[in-house]
Amino acid sequence: MIRLYHIGKSYGDRDALRDVSLHVEKGEMVYVTGPSGAGKSTMLKLLYGAERPSTGKMLIAGTDVSKLDSRQLPSLRRNLGVVFQDFKLLPQRTVAENVGMALEVIGAEPDAIRRRVPAVLNIVGLKGREEDKAGVLSGGEKQRVAIARAIVNDPAILLADEPTGNLDGAMAVEVMEILQAINLRGTTVLVATHDVGLMDRFPYRRLRFVDGRLVVGSTLGAARR
Amino acid sequence: MNQAFRHALRGLREHTYLAGVGAGVIAAALVLLGAYAMIVGNLEAVVSGWKRDVHVSAYFAPGQSAEVQAAARSELAGRPEVESVEWVTSEQARTWMLERVPEVEAMVKELGEGALPSSLEIALRPAYTSPEGLDAFAASLEQGGRFGDIDYGREWVERSGAFLRTLTILGVALGGILVVAALFLVGNTINLVVYARRDELEILRLVGATDSYILSPFLVEGAIQGVAGGGAAVALLYAVHRLVVARLPEAIPLALGEGGLAFLQPSAIVLLLVTGVAIGVAAAGLAVRRFLSRLA
Repeated sequence: MIRLYHIGKSYGDRDALRDVSLHVEKGEMVYVTGPSGAGKSTMLKLLYGAERPSTGKMLIAGTDVSKLDSRQLPSLRRNLGVVFQDFKLLPQRTVAENVGMALEVIGAEPDAIRRRVPAVLNIVGLKGREEDKAGVLSGGEKQRVAIARAIVNDPAILLADEPTGNLDGAMAVEVMEILQAINLRGTTVLVATHDVGLMDRFPYRRLRFVDGRLVVGSTLGAARR
Repeated sequence: MNQAFRHALRGLREHTYLAGVGAGVIAAALVLLGAYAMIVGNLEAVVSGWKRDVHVSAYFAPGQSAEVQAAARSELAGRPEVESVEWVTSEQARTWMLERVPEVEAMVKELGEGALPSSLEIALRPAYTSPEGLDAFAASLEQGGRFGDIDYGREWVERSGAFLRTLTILGVALGGILVVAALFLVGNTINLVVYARRDELEILRLVGATDSYILSPFLVEGAIQGVAGGGAAVALLYAVHRLVVARLPEAIPLALGEGGLAFLQPSAIVLLLVTGVAIGVAAAGLAVRRFLSRLA
């Protein structure tokens, strides 16, 4: 599903990623981990097109996305779901409006949006909360709304950048359980985190970065070994 | 388009204060431009009035028969420079004088019937009222010996011409400064308004919205703010106009002509509203595009 070949990313003379090659299989759930500044977020930004690699080649579902121009980015992002530590919700809008945004941009009819949004909110445990304003929700609920928005279009890949970073232990576990459930439905999930406790509790392959280099787990086989 | 309109209305509802600030700044810019247009329009009307008032008085030389005078009138009426010709006989001139300055009655009677010569009062078309045009026209009248004296107030024409030229230069310079200032003011404010909604733009980008999808509602909002700002500007200008007209000393409307201080013409009002829409749309478009170009 995701294949990176000798990817490098530099900001001026600083290398954020160096010669990264990795494979993530369809339906897999993996962690992107490492200390702060190791390149975890840069890795995810490359995957959802917020940054371009300086070197190397990157295939997502068979498409070379390393050279996508800005006009081609929307179509890439419609097939990816992205979740952030700070949720990125519009607090003055309702839960349904926040989730429905991802459907509106692909031109979904209002009826289809009305049907699909409650179904997705059910998956993340927010059934019946459609009309609540996002601004009044707890941190865990906001992250669930963000996850619902990320998966409402049935993306093949879900990227989560420190999704539990702003949550306490119990809420973090709840969010991880939701991500796990989404993965079990067939979505490939990449979670950037440095929370070792969570990774131990939900054990999946770890792509460990140090100083921009991938030091552990570049392939499923390597991880198993 | 329907969706863009719906989203624009939602955006205005959610950000009423910001939308109000945007419309307010557009209104302020249009008040400046509208006031400027009103002042220039009134000054131009005054100057046009001066131009219309430029006329040549050609006094017949003594001994010119009525037939000669009538023929001169017909001939002049046919010339391209001439707007109108009025024949004032010696008797009409005498009556006019006595009506307006009765104190000179004894003196006029003493001088006798032909004391005031017959004349032709000639109004020229505006294109021929420059000092050079007047000189040429007067010189043509002096030929043939039918007229004893020709009066056309060349000094006044020269002064008003110089005033008009200064006014035009000042008007263009001030108008240019105002337009630049208005664009700067509106552009910076709309930039801030768009910046305050950066989260919305960022999220739309992340969920795969195209630039045109993101931009369209902002353009519609800009147009609505432009109409609102334009309407507010016209209303404010009208109120100020009424106030100024009510408080103007009587002498000033006289100087401005019969109509007094004129408000904006309907075409200028429409132009102001269209300018408001154009400014709103352009400022929103530029601000959103600039912001999107910086977004991932």
